[in-house]
Amino acid sequence: MTVLKRRNVFGCAAFVALSVFIISHQAVAQITPDSTATDSTLLKQIEQQMQESQPAQPASTVRSGISANPDIGVIGDFQGSFNSFGKRNFDTYLNETEVSFQSVVDPYARADFFVSFGRNPTTHDYGVEVEEGYLTTLSLPARLQLKVGKFKQALGRVNTMHPNALPFIDMPNALVNYFGEEGLNDEGASLSWLLPNKAFYQELTFQATTGFNEAPIFYRGDNNRLLYLGHLKNFFTLGENSTLELGLTGITGPNDSSNVTNVGAADVTLKWKPVQMNTYRSLTWQSELFYDNANYSDTSFQNALGFYSFLEYQIAKRTFLTGRYDYAEKPYDNRIVEQAYSLTAGWLATEFQKIELEGKVTTTNLNSDLHYQAWLRWIFVVGAHGAHQY
Amino acid sequence: MKNIKSIVAVALLVASVLVANVTFAKTIKVVTTTTDMKSIAEMIGGANVSVTSIATGYQNPHFVDPKPSYIISLSNADMFVTVGLDLETGWSPQLLTSSRNTKIQKGSPGYVDASEGVSLLQVPSSLNRGEGDIHMYGNPHYWLDPMNGKIIARNIANGLERVDPANKAMYEANLKTFDDKIDAKMKEWQTKMAPFKGANIIAYHNEWVYFETRFGLHIVDFMEPKPGIPPTPSQLVKVINEVKSNNIKVIISSPYFTTSSSDVVAKQTGVKVLTMATSTGAFDQVKSYFDVFDYDINLLTAALK
Repeated sequence: MTVLKRRNVFGCAAFVALSVFIISHQAVAQITPDSTATDSTLLKQIEQQMQESQPAQPASTVRSGISANPDIGVIGDFQGSFNSFGKRNFDTYLNETEVSFQSVVDPYARADFFVSFGRNPTTHDYGVEVEEGYLTTLSLPARLQLKVGKFKQALGRVNTMHPNALPFIDMPNALVNYFGEEGLNDEGASLSWLLPNKAFYQELTFQATTGFNEAPIFYRGDNNRLLYLGHLKNFFTLGENSTLELGLTGITGPNDSSNVTNVGAADVTLKWKPVQMNTYRSLTWQSELFYDNANYSDTSFQNALGFYSFLEYQIAKRTFLTGRYDYAEKPYDNRIVEQAYSLTAGWLATEFQKIELEGKVTTTNLNSDLHYQAWLRWIFVVGAHGAHQY
Repeated sequence: MKNIKSIVAVALLVASVLVANVTFAKTIKVVTTTTDMKSIAEMIGGANVSVTSIATGYQNPHFVDPKPSYIISLSNADMFVTVGLDLETGWSPQLLTSSRNTKIQKGSPGYVDASEGVSLLQVPSSLNRGEGDIHMYGNPHYWLDPMNGKIIARNIANGLERVDPANKAMYEANLKTFDDKIDAKMKEWQTKMAPFKGANIIAYHNEWVYFETRFGLHIVDFMEPKPGIPPTPSQLVKVINEVKSNNIKVIISSPYFTTSSSDVVAKQTGVKVLTMATSTGAFDQVKSYFDVFDYDINLLTAALK
């Protein structure tokens, strides 16, 4: 145990040291040791520019809406739901109000905040939390990018997206069973490296976070052990209209038995979207697989497997249809298996408003009962609306 | 003996570096958001630049998918040219942030907003999305006025001179050649369009206001009831009546919109539906910025006769 603790503390220290080194390297790179030399170079540049004739600058015109405020957007998520279990089967609620503040901080970084006002499903009280709040560097050398704060972690595809951007209303069973309703969302630092590969896009991400997340398979506890995540993203252009993304993720972190849980995950996304008519037709097949290995003691462990696979078809400019299959072994007992089938129809009024209807049926191998659920979701956006990831 | 060998080796190394520098001048890598910016950048930069465009010429520039593969070319770019005015707001900021390239971030010498200095049309006094997909700075389709092409070229030349001041004279010479060609072609285009001054037309989307203003056309209405909103049955009825009452001969559209609703109007009224080039590369024969206007004006004048 002591060895493990030391190893984690060492890992954390190494990560922090690396981050500090990179930031200090950047700072040092901008402060030339010999200021006389800098002044001399600067003077030469000024003299050179003074000697050159001034390029003709077109007259600028007045632009409206210029402001130092960050881009502010509000996303409303109103839902109605049906649940075949329990006494109260129907409900309507303002599921979430997400307020975003996004801006460049200075030439070296940008900041993104997403504050969520949501309803507690049990108490029905509304509460507020910082869903995400992070700083991203823009100017690190060697194609590196550092992110610090609270963020959705680089676990495949669905985990990194905000729920209102997903083509279905509920989260896949495996993701909920292993990482919670909100997915893996934690505080810490993330360092990503854009690999110098000209043939296809490759990005390697390493994240060290506190472990204070809502994932059932991890538990921070009363110790100094952190959660570590590594993700490799590979993106291939198969032609003008088709792309393939393959991702691999490894996670290790403390669990509620004061031991370690390891997760291996893989994701694949195949998209067809004709460039010329990309607002009218598209087809996406996406799948993610999660393998959980929880060590409870030196002799006791539990493995569990979960995955989902969905096919989303854009029928027309405003109409989408998504079918999804879920398979999830329970992380605490892999003999209990959940399977679910769902179908979602989506209609986009504009890029600022959409209505979705989802029906879902879930079975478990514990009994022959079928669990029916349905949701109606109305998403609407006012103010700035940032780009979705591809 | 050992010292002589070392001196010779160092001398050869220095010589080879000098030769390499003389023989292979550094190519300036430019990434543009659209093909019109690419075409103009190639004409101003000449053999000194290598230019790639993110969007194709037959793609809706409002809705380009921010594929990670674009980040590769952005991460290696010396200069980035954007149409600006929020045209690419849904995709280019995300790509720029992910590029990790300080040379092309907004405010850096390699960042070129081609709209600087353009006299903008349809600048809203307030931003109300109830009016559809409007742009807070004004209509962003300004490259469809050839005279604005000269401002774009000036901005691109300024950018190239910032990142490669050693070749300023060449960029200025290329800019003059470009401007002279625009002036010469403008006479030709204006002459062709003169008989149709004031001609009433219908457009699919509100993206032709600069072209309309420059060549004296009159866009009576749009197939879209509001910018970005697909044609509705009531809008089609309205357009059919307008076509009949104003003796309108053409509906102009773009390669990235379906013509199904325009075809309905054509069937009811006999109006011609023209798919015009909104950008370089819209069709195989539209290979440069000048070809955009050659293609569109030839198509339009033939239909309006």
